[in-house]
Amino acid sequence: MKKLLTIMLALLIATSLFASGSKESASADSGDGKIKIALIIENTIDDKGWCQAMHDGITQAMEQLPGKIEYNYSEKMAVVDAGSMARQYVAEGYDLIIAHGAQYKNTILEMAEEYPDVSFAFGTSSEIGPENVFTYMPESEETGYINGIIAGTLTKANIVGLVGPVDSGDAARYNRGYVLGVQSVNPDCKILVAHTGSFSDYVKSSEVATSQLSNGADMMTGSSQQAIGALRATAESPTAMWVGQDLAQLTTPEGQAKCIAASSYDYAAVIVSLVDKLENGIKGGECIPMNFNNGGFIFEFNPALEAEWVTPELKAKVEDQIAAFQASAGVLADWASVDYSTL
Amino acid sequence: MITILTNMLSMCIPFSVALLLASIGEMFNQRAGVFNLGCEGIMAMGAFIGMLIPFSVGGGGPVPQVYNVLGFLAAAAVGAFLGLFFGVVTVTFRAPQGIAGIGLQMFGVGTAGTLFRHFVGGTQSIPGIPDIDIPLLSKIPFLGDVFFSHNGAAYLAYLFIPVAWYILFKTPWGLKVRAVGTNPRAADSMGINVSRTRYESLMLGGALAGLAGAYLSIAQAKMFSDTLISGRGFIAVALVYFGHWHPLQIMGGALLFTFAQTFQTQIQSMGISFPYELAVMLPYVLVIVVLSFTSRNQTTAPTSLGKPFNREMRT
Repeated sequence: MKKLLTIMLALLIATSLFASGSKESASADSGDGKIKIALIIENTIDDKGWCQAMHDGITQAMEQLPGKIEYNYSEKMAVVDAGSMARQYVAEGYDLIIAHGAQYKNTILEMAEEYPDVSFAFGTSSEIGPENVFTYMPESEETGYINGIIAGTLTKANIVGLVGPVDSGDAARYNRGYVLGVQSVNPDCKILVAHTGSFSDYVKSSEVATSQLSNGADMMTGSSQQAIGALRATAESPTAMWVGQDLAQLTTPEGQAKCIAASSYDYAAVIVSLVDKLENGIKGGECIPMNFNNGGFIFEFNPALEAEWVTPELKAKVEDQIAAFQASAGVLADWASVDYSTL
Repeated sequence: MITILTNMLSMCIPFSVALLLASIGEMFNQRAGVFNLGCEGIMAMGAFIGMLIPFSVGGGGPVPQVYNVLGFLAAAAVGAFLGLFFGVVTVTFRAPQGIAGIGLQMFGVGTAGTLFRHFVGGTQSIPGIPDIDIPLLSKIPFLGDVFFSHNGAAYLAYLFIPVAWYILFKTPWGLKVRAVGTNPRAADSMGINVSRTRYESLMLGGALAGLAGAYLSIAQAKMFSDTLISGRGFIAVALVYFGHWHPLQIMGGALLFTFAQTFQTQIQSMGISFPYELAVMLPYVLVIVVLSFTSRNQTTAPTSLGKPFNREMRT
């Protein structure tokens, strides 16, 4: 009896904790004629990185298309849980289910076959999926290149650091673009590149950054949500500065103090485009690239640091490069040729 | 080359502290005969509670150091409480320790993440505790950087190693812990309260795991996120086997593992043509290799590890 009561008490405590947590979920008002969008993410909507960028994009699209989108999301979805969550959304009549990460590819392709009337999307991927699957691929070598120009110009030690997660997807593109950007303005600059092997190990990211800083790097960057750990480590350095892959980093105290500029994916444009396609009967079978040319990227200098760090020459160089990217997509077609072992 | 070596070694001490504290705590658990796989969960709770106190006061801005100290103390208290909870499940109810440990791991990580979202929100950082350059000693070439320029918590953690050794091998309580982990029936017949000793060990182990988590959030990463621990609790369990349940050898294991981590980072940063996937695996492969070569030397292993004690039963 005592054992039973203890177990029941423990279950009650756990249930009450998680019940309060579920209030974090957002759910828009439902109504006829709306496109119902569900988002499945592996981290959280406020991770100041990958997942937050998509969540922010959808909420911005909701503002741009008032009354047209109904939205719900599920956080911390491991790949094995994503399928059942997606089925739940299908049962609730969602029109578009976005699984934000290439790791969900197999799940989404299976679901798409099972539910041909529902649209699915996943990224990053440049593959063309089935007729009811959209893919999206940020061509983030462009944002990396811009940040590389800044880092290569501002480094005094002639050593810059880069903390990557794994060498794939948009992170691989960003990192190689960064290398090309640094080399374009400072060919003799030493570029330290290291990967943590994880998208979300903030401690390891901070350790890698500390290692690079102790080896003399004075301009740092990092990709994916784990980059926050590296930014935090950079903030400990009295001299080193940071260029960011996500505008959310500018909102952090260390970002305010250290992040000279940041770029971000504008998923709002992707979502608006997807809504338009769905309304016109296109359910998938397309890859939506994201680049400066189609408004998929946003870039900003940190207003708090711009006067001190950004010279008119540097600003002009950055703006010229962005203008070149805006004029034509695919400018950095050779991004994949970057070989870290030659740096 | 000397500079690179100095940099690598100087990172070993501060980066090894969380593993060291957690594995010393796990050592006390296992020396008393209880196998606690829930270390990861306790670390997560410690990391959250440790960060919550300075964050609540300063909102992410600077706070007097006393609040960081309070964060550590609260993390230790929460860790001790979870150790007590684990004791109720495994010592009193005699639940299978492996399964209960996995449950505690999931409970700790899940609860820390949920409470974090509820009370804090998204990924947040704090100023944490600063490094302290010990006067004169920190100026010694090479040795100063390697040993005398770290945060205060790192110094205290390393000072605790001889204390842990003394407690385990030179005090009556340490003798009781080893006795209940080796032969609880004999210990019981000698008048040692097996359950009480195991409870005390679990609470001490839990407190140290909580401190380990708080070290990550207050002294090392200076932030909290759901994934902050990222498997370090399990590495700590492995290090106990690696170090043969001995504080000094566990310290050696923690330092070796951390050195391997910094070494692989250096390999990558130096641009050596070597797949980074293999470099990242290096520390874990090292643990497996060393465990393989030392597994025959199990003479120090607590022979009743993982076995619940029931005075009424013969087995």
